[in-house]
Amino acid sequence: MNTLNYKKSGRKLEITLTGDFNLNAVKRISDLLDDRKELVIDLQQSRFVNSRAIIFLHRLMNSEPPVKVQISNPPKIFFELLQVLDLHKNWKLDEIVQP
Amino acid sequence: MEAHLLLEVKPEMIGSVSDFTYKWCVNMGLDRQSAARMALCMDEVLTNITLYAFKDENGYAEVWYQYSPSEIEIIVQEKGEPFDPEKYTYDPDRAIRENDFKGASLEAIRQMADQFLFLNRGKDGKEYRLIKKFHFPHIMEVLPAGYDVDSENQRDKSESEEDFLITPVTVDDAEDIAKLIYRSYSYSYPKEDLYFPRRIETAIRNKYKYGTIVRTVSGRPVGYFAVVKSTDSMIGEVTEAVVSPAYRNRGLMKKMMLNLIEMSRQEGLAGLFGMAITNHLFSQKVNAKYGFKSTALIISKSGRRRFKAMEKSFLDMISVVLDFLPLTDHWHKPPVIPEAYTDLLSGIYAQFDEPELSASPNAPYSSRNEKTDMSLSINYESRSALIVVKTYGAGFVESFNRMLKSTEDIKLTSIYIDLPMDDPYINKAITRVKEMGFILSGLMPFFHQEKDFLRMQKLYREINFDDIETFSDCAGQLKNIIRNEYAELQEIGQEA
Repeated sequence: MNTLNYKKSGRKLEITLTGDFNLNAVKRISDLLDDRKELVIDLQQSRFVNSRAIIFLHRLMNSEPPVKVQISNPPKIFFELLQVLDLHKNWKLDEIVQP
Repeated sequence: MEAHLLLEVKPEMIGSVSDFTYKWCVNMGLDRQSAARMALCMDEVLTNITLYAFKDENGYAEVWYQYSPSEIEIIVQEKGEPFDPEKYTYDPDRAIRENDFKGASLEAIRQMADQFLFLNRGKDGKEYRLIKKFHFPHIMEVLPAGYDVDSENQRDKSESEEDFLITPVTVDDAEDIAKLIYRSYSYSYPKEDLYFPRRIETAIRNKYKYGTIVRTVSGRPVGYFAVVKSTDSMIGEVTEAVVSPAYRNRGLMKKMMLNLIEMSRQEGLAGLFGMAITNHLFSQKVNAKYGFKSTALIISKSGRRRFKAMEKSFLDMISVVLDFLPLTDHWHKPPVIPEAYTDLLSGIYAQFDEPELSASPNAPYSSRNEKTDMSLSINYESRSALIVVKTYGAGFVESFNRMLKSTEDIKLTSIYIDLPMDDPYINKAITRVKEMGFILSGLMPFFHQEKDFLRMQKLYREINFDDIETFSDCAGQLKNIIRNEYAELQEIGQEA
């Protein structure tokens, strides 16, 4: 099932999701990421990001060494869910979310 | 429009169901953000089922999408591994400190839905219920500044017209209907949906109801009456009736009722029913005038409500008499008349004497070798629930007990069970439900899949039968039997 488009370049993986950021997308990204240390995700076409996707990103950013995560065009629900899980204070959203 | 999906539980189907959920919610009238929240809830529930309920095994889940003018409800049922949500509490400190996100998914569901309910039905599986309310503006937020009810009603009186136009309601009438309700009843009309023009609009658009509106020749709305269609059978409830005070006693209600009956025949309905409240006789008398006959007394149908201009302004119990009007010639007595209520039911059926009801062409049928099939619907506003038994099957008693137990945490005020009358097992079923504290309610004609059901009711608060007024002989007889059964139940309770 094609839920994303991607581009690999050296240490960086760039993803454009064509659906919601859910369990399937997490599995695909996890496989594609391998040991790369930079992940860029465009969520323009996602209606929501689910809790597993948030946990996945949280663990990447807190792994040793950490993966640098950048997100563009997140849906409003992404911020709502971060707040529900009380992670909004912990995440450096200014650095993670691209303008 | 309701929908029902049967799903093979696999990670690949989660996205498709989320897509369907989102689109169904938008089509039913939710804004896009709320629809996306419901799609997220559905994604979380199905992900949990996929990962934990079935793990690597094959399994199925069923999803029901249900609409009402005030909310939508999505019910997911599955029979995977047992699960206790109480053990999955999300703790953000633990999540950050120990990288332990246990309970995060359930927390997301709880916060994104307006209400989330988990029912554990033991061997009959688990149910996840997601509810999202429509957040539409109240009529008071829609009215122009300076709108004054008294001067509007005064205008009705001073401009009183004699000629009227009666037409079927359309979505364009929604705001006028809400204004008419507000002008006529202030805040005392019992159906809250009618104070929200967008709820009325979506209900008409979704064909949840149809109705008739009366306007003066100059276009001023002065009367409205509607039928809410059953989603389970080809019948409808006559409800939501209003005539502007200045235009009462001119026969408008009669014209609208006759119009509705004709519209219902054209819709192909097998019958209409009215729920006439028993705190006064007016509604019961109106129903009787148009040929409706009493078949059941449903106690404590709704919670506490306030009525304007009635002797009892605060009522802590609203009971209703169910009045039924058949619209088809193809109505037969059911294959089995329960022994405990033979005389009563014969009397109820005898009311419908034009033409006289014939015996069922179908022989009684035993479902003892089949699977038990029953469903539960919950009215969150009135905190009441209805169990509908489709097939008694081999495990009726166990399934009934499990379903009853699963409702214990909801703090219900009343619960009802509708028993099919095509299987001789109904006699044993009545005995069993009585042992669990149920008493009679009455006959529910054509109520599910165009078949007659016997309704029993369990009431969780004290009932004062002196507050219940009945008009017809049958309604009086029902009241007497129900009062006696209630008294017996109280005695048993005291002895215990």
